[in-house]
Amino acid sequence: MARTWKRWLPAAVVPAVIAGGVLTGSLQANAAADLPDKTPQQLLEMAAGSDVRELSGTVEQDSALGLPELPQDKPAGEGGQVADALALLTGSHAARVYLDGPDRARLQLFDRFAERDLIRNGAEAWFYSSKKNEAVHLTLPAGKGDSSDGGASPQAEAYTPQRLAEHLLQSITPESKVSVGDDTSVAGRSAYQLVVEPNSTETLVGSMVVAIDAETGLPLNVQIQARGQQEPAFQLGYTKLSLGAPDAGLFDFTPPAGATVTEHAVPQHSPKAEKPQLKGNNDGGAGVRDQVTKHGSGWETVTEVPAAALPDGWADSPLLGQATEAVDGGRLISTSLVNVYLTDDGRVFAGSVPLGQLQAAAEGR
Amino acid sequence: MSSDAQPVPAEADRQSPESVDRPVDRPVAGPAGRLAPATPENNRPSAGWALFGSELSVLFRRLRTWAMLLALAAVPVLIAVVVRLAADEGGPGGGPPFLNQITQNGLFVALTGLVVSIPLFLPLTISVVAGDTIAGEAGHGTLRYLLTAPAGRLRLLAVKYGAAVVFCVAAALAIVVAGAVIGTILFGTGPVTLLSGDTIGVGESLVRLLLVAAYVALSLAGLAAIGLFISTLTEVPVGAMATTAVLAVVTQIVGALPQLEWLHPWLFTHYWLSFADLLRQPISWDAFGANALLQGGYIAVFCALAYSRFSTKDVLS
Repeated sequence: MARTWKRWLPAAVVPAVIAGGVLTGSLQANAAADLPDKTPQQLLEMAAGSDVRELSGTVEQDSALGLPELPQDKPAGEGGQVADALALLTGSHAARVYLDGPDRARLQLFDRFAERDLIRNGAEAWFYSSKKNEAVHLTLPAGKGDSSDGGASPQAEAYTPQRLAEHLLQSITPESKVSVGDDTSVAGRSAYQLVVEPNSTETLVGSMVVAIDAETGLPLNVQIQARGQQEPAFQLGYTKLSLGAPDAGLFDFTPPAGATVTEHAVPQHSPKAEKPQLKGNNDGGAGVRDQVTKHGSGWETVTEVPAAALPDGWADSPLLGQATEAVDGGRLISTSLVNVYLTDDGRVFAGSVPLGQLQAAAEGR
Repeated sequence: MSSDAQPVPAEADRQSPESVDRPVDRPVAGPAGRLAPATPENNRPSAGWALFGSELSVLFRRLRTWAMLLALAAVPVLIAVVVRLAADEGGPGGGPPFLNQITQNGLFVALTGLVVSIPLFLPLTISVVAGDTIAGEAGHGTLRYLLTAPAGRLRLLAVKYGAAVVFCVAAALAIVVAGAVIGTILFGTGPVTLLSGDTIGVGESLVRLLLVAAYVALSLAGLAAIGLFISTLTEVPVGAMATTAVLAVVTQIVGALPQLEWLHPWLFTHYWLSFADLLRQPISWDAFGANALLQGGYIAVFCALAYSRFSTKDVLS
């Protein structure tokens, strides 16, 4: 049977070809053109000078913070929003982002068989959740229309790598070492990598890597490494990106028939209060900002929130009970990047530092 | 035309389809001449289509095929009737996705039917058809007659797989069409709200439904290829059917274990339920593309395996 082995050839060749295709595909995805060298300062200026305001892209977020995975399909109800917020910090999430100019944006957060949408069209802002079939409508007061200062709307852009990078790069302090990493490729575009490492050895943050588009200076990917952890603790970046104005119809949102529509007024004095629909329940959080105290500086900053600034009974949520562990003098939510220490008397201390420093800050008062 | 002495693999590769197209070179017991005279010109490509046609007519004349399609169609009908009867009580949310949208728009019955059927019912029926392809003929003792007709093993395999894929399409359509029809009757239709909150007309929503059906059929084509390969391994059709069905279920269980997360993107069931991406505005083709690549890989590998196994197999029954 000399021919037998030949007939087994396809069975060997086809998988080999597929394996080869997969390998070259993943190699090509990471291969980048050799870009002209730049200094960290030049990169920072490039990122700061980026003026891409029109794009459509797909964003992917991966977190490996060490938080317990939360059940995705819990019944809507108490703790629903807290759970939603925490769920965003676990596992992977995909979203689509559409930006058109400074005041038109749409974010579509993909859930399993569901979607959450944030739409901003001039003075109109909508939040829609398909799971609950709920829409929240905000009309922004005149004069608050420019989102360049952070804006007053549900922030569709808040979820983009560029906004996060902006935020992170602003926080670069003299206690950091900034360098340029290897050239890379993100969403098919060549990019520089800016690496920020804290000088402090106490902080939990290992390094932050921001991929900056070589052509436009747009931050494409943000990666935060935790100390002593191989995989990135947090990553947010484009997997697909096309520059240019998206279809204008995307920003015209009419809530579907049958949806529960809530109208919200936007308080003038506290633009942040309405924002965190996505990030969690912040009812009564208007004053929190003023009562927060900071201990330490730079990477080792510990933020203290006094008990009075928090809504009553928030700590009794069973969900919180699951996520925390008992430690001396209180409870601890431990992640690879941030520790949150809840003292028995109701204060909250958070920071990218080990528990010991949080406890020291708590005892210091 | 003796290709026995061809040592170059590439050439052998090219020649192998031809070489198996010849009447099988093994002695075949039985009345080999009975089938052969009817198709004297079977070496033309058109002979493959004739064989495909006859295979389809055999498949769709079987009572079993219609029983399975009817059972699949019964899933959305059952859901719609139950929801209709219970609608007055106004039960709380929960249940499979899209369930609570059914009362507002009958077209969602089809989607709920798919969500409910994809984990078990659909793979089960595909397993029965795909597992039966070769093993069924072997089990009936008709395989050697099929091979004495000068159709060739490759062509027979292609025809069998083609028929299984047609059944995948029919199965997905059975659910979608039955769901859309019963939903329209019981709840009526209207503009459809997509996951993004945008609303589209009935016409466009029917297009989306057909896209979803195509997505599901594509998802099942990979399983059909696996079933075809397993079917070449045995002469007991029930064994091949059961193995394929169990494999589909086990793969889904593996896909649900977070400890094996690195493996998940490689499982053929990974994108089975991702058809929801077709219900966003604008349509997100990412899942469709990834699924097509993945299923294409499975189809290529398992069809190659099936070919190798089948063309070297001693057909004794």
